Amino acid sequence: MVAATALRKPIREIGGFFALSLDMLVALLNKPFAIREFLEQSWFVARVSLVPSITLTIPFNAFVVFILNVLLFEIGAADASGTGAALAVITQTGPFTTVLVVGGAAATAICADLGARTVREEIDAMRVMGIDPAQRLLVPRVMALTVNALLLNGVVCFVGLAGTYAFAVYVNNVNPGSFAASLTLITGLPDTVISFVKATLFGMTAGLVACYKGITVGGGPQGVGNAVNETVVYTFLVLIVINTLVTTIGTTVTK
Amino acid sequence: MSAPARLRLPRLTRTAHTVAEGWNRIGEQTAFYIKAVGEIGEAVGKYRVELLRLIAQMSLGVGALALIGGAAMVVSFIVMNAGALVGIVGFTQLSDVGIEALTGFFAAYINPRLVAPLITAVGLAATVGAGATAQIGAMRINEEIDALEVMGVRSVAYLVSTRVLAGVIVVVPLFCLSAILTNVTSRVVVRYGYGQSVGVYDHYFTTFLQPTDMIWALVQVTLQGAVIMLVHTYYGFTASGGPAGVGEATGRAVRTSLIVATLVTMVAGMILYGRSGNFHLSG
Repeated sequence: MVAATALRKPIREIGGFFALSLDMLVALLNKPFAIREFLEQSWFVARVSLVPSITLTIPFNAFVVFILNVLLFEIGAADASGTGAALAVITQTGPFTTVLVVGGAAATAICADLGARTVREEIDAMRVMGIDPAQRLLVPRVMALTVNALLLNGVVCFVGLAGTYAFAVYVNNVNPGSFAASLTLITGLPDTVISFVKATLFGMTAGLVACYKGITVGGGPQGVGNAVNETVVYTFLVLIVINTLVTTIGTTVTK
Repeated sequence: MSAPARLRLPRLTRTAHTVAEGWNRIGEQTAFYIKAVGEIGEAVGKYRVELLRLIAQMSLGVGALALIGGAAMVVSFIVMNAGALVGIVGFTQLSDVGIEALTGFFAAYINPRLVAPLITAVGLAATVGAGATAQIGAMRINEEIDALEVMGVRSVAYLVSTRVLAGVIVVVPLFCLSAILTNVTSRVVVRYGYGQSVGVYDHYFTTFLQPTDMIWALVQVTLQGAVIMLVHTYYGFTASGGPAGVGEATGRAVRTSLIVATLVTMVAGMILYGRSGNFHLSG
């Protein structure tokens, strides 16, 4: 009996998540699209996540490149430092940092905002007034996160490459010319496209999870805190699975 | 009748206030961290039961994450995916230059130095850290912390120092779990996903795996545990503004702690590893 109840809860949660996602898909096709809310949310997400993404990207990539450079120096391939940096930043750490920022900064803020509205029964009031919260509140937020994740990935990749360049040239004394020349040795257009596809998928999934957790909050301050905590955990879990899948598909397709 | 107070240089004054506030916040945080670390002794002496309860709750307890199990489950799941990624990227990229036999070497080098510490930090911040912020923040909003102080309980020692110490203790088994899982998943992926013979993989893996790397990674992760718990408890302890405030505090704590933990990992890594790889390629 206990096992049955314990099993029923996760299944119900997953079902609820997919049901809400489908609702949002339908609401996306329904006119009118809440363009003002979308712009406001996009600006909000950009404001919340730009500074964290830059401050997270620099140490993260510097450490990765530091470790890779030690390896490359040891086998006498310091010239290929740019190759390692480009491979790491574009295919892995760039999208991964985007995940951390989108999941850790933007999705949590959206979940906290929606959770507070749910607790104050504003969402129920909207329903009473005949306004569909999915169309008015959720769709613009998911779209804002999707667009922003795509744009953030650009920022993260740019800052990451610039940071690794500075690190390799000024700390590890790599020749700047050979760093720049070897950037595109392994990493090309397909990898860059995959990187941006990944980031877009991350943004969309983080938005869906944040909206679902935010709108199903219950039980006062602790409930909102828990919902935000769960948002972080679920987005990281889902996104890391997406990352592995897309990387596998990408490396197989572009071969 | 007095005229409404008007600032002489409104914009400049406001900017100065913002800067001063930011500056003060850094001071407040530092004072809080020193106090929390300083009262660890007291926490061990007076609140030992609470400490043990927190260790049990953080490592295996499910808490808010009743859906998928506690921190151990989440961290091992994230880490397994990262280990698989090392196998996939390592094998495909190395086979581009025709040296896929060295995937074992790649995993032995990258897993303990990069993947295990960085990914464990992410898992810790998301599960144990964010959980602590949500808990303490809700206590602050419900005025439970004030009630504790009225009853004569040292709130920082009871709530914060115990959590910091418990976090640092819990990190050690969690890291051991994640270190084993990354290496095992890389091996499984290379063996069954790409069909490399286990002998080749194991030969290069065991030749180039350095046990000291694992110990340095453990040092890094312990530092991360302490930093993450301090940041998360601070944001929970100073939460304000009703239910939304708790949520916002949790979000802000996650992004701050991720940045600080990465910074700590980087600095510790540079100090611990230096510029040499310490492996003997000539055999």
